[in-house]
Amino acid sequence: MATFLVILHGLLAVALLGSITHQAIAVIWPAQRKTGFVNAYRSVSSRAYVNANMVLFLAVAVLGSIIYPIYRVFIRTYLENARLHPAVGSFEVKEQLIAIGLGLLPLYWLVWRRPDPASKSARVAVTLMLCFIVWFSFLVGHILNNIRGMFGL
Amino acid sequence: MKDNNIERLVPVFSAAFALIYIISVERNWALFTYHPKIHQWGWLVEPAKNGPPMYWYGWLVTSLLGASAVSVIAWPLLKSRPTQYWLGWTVPLLVMISVFYLFRDFFLR
Repeated sequence: MATFLVILHGLLAVALLGSITHQAIAVIWPAQRKTGFVNAYRSVSSRAYVNANMVLFLAVAVLGSIIYPIYRVFIRTYLENARLHPAVGSFEVKEQLIAIGLGLLPLYWLVWRRPDPASKSARVAVTLMLCFIVWFSFLVGHILNNIRGMFGL
Repeated sequence: MKDNNIERLVPVFSAAFALIYIISVERNWALFTYHPKIHQWGWLVEPAKNGPPMYWYGWLVTSLLGASAVSVIAWPLLKSRPTQYWLGWTVPLLVMISVFYLFRDFFLR
């Protein structure tokens, strides 16, 4: 069951990573024309991603919180015994960033619900912050999940 | 409550959530503790029983309740002002930066 949840957590994280990166690129580097792959990637409607990103963020966070005890009891103990302190620290940072991201979701919903000039800087900032949180968390999770193979432990 | 009223509270909620969360982590203000090895929950902060205790869930709930309370308390100050969007992202951004500072020891050992 735990393996299934980890894989599901990873798959949803991939979907979230793609979705929020797409939105962030369209926000900071928008394009009018859709000619070519890069322009087409940049010219999407950013608002269309909001609900999906919120649902995916919540789903990934909830799944992560369900499988978290397994990490705490078995994986972290192993990492500490192996003196892999940066790996332990990376997960600690990830855990705090996810929590801050959860607190940002209501603001993310607000600034995208009815985009107006007054909330433009907040819209850009919140989207980029969530994008950073998702990328950081994804990379840390991916590295920790494969740490024994990656570092020959 | 009208939509505009909720709009004014949301940035305060996000700012307060981040701030209360990081204080909860630093001071360990967990509303409850989970002992994963024995699948046991306990109120407030409990020491390790059999295996490591988990406070993360407790910190989240502390922050949720705290940020909700702050939003309600701040309401009289906000009702005559425009929505303070900047507050909702600058404070969490500073908290995010502080997280890297607070956990730096893991990377400097």
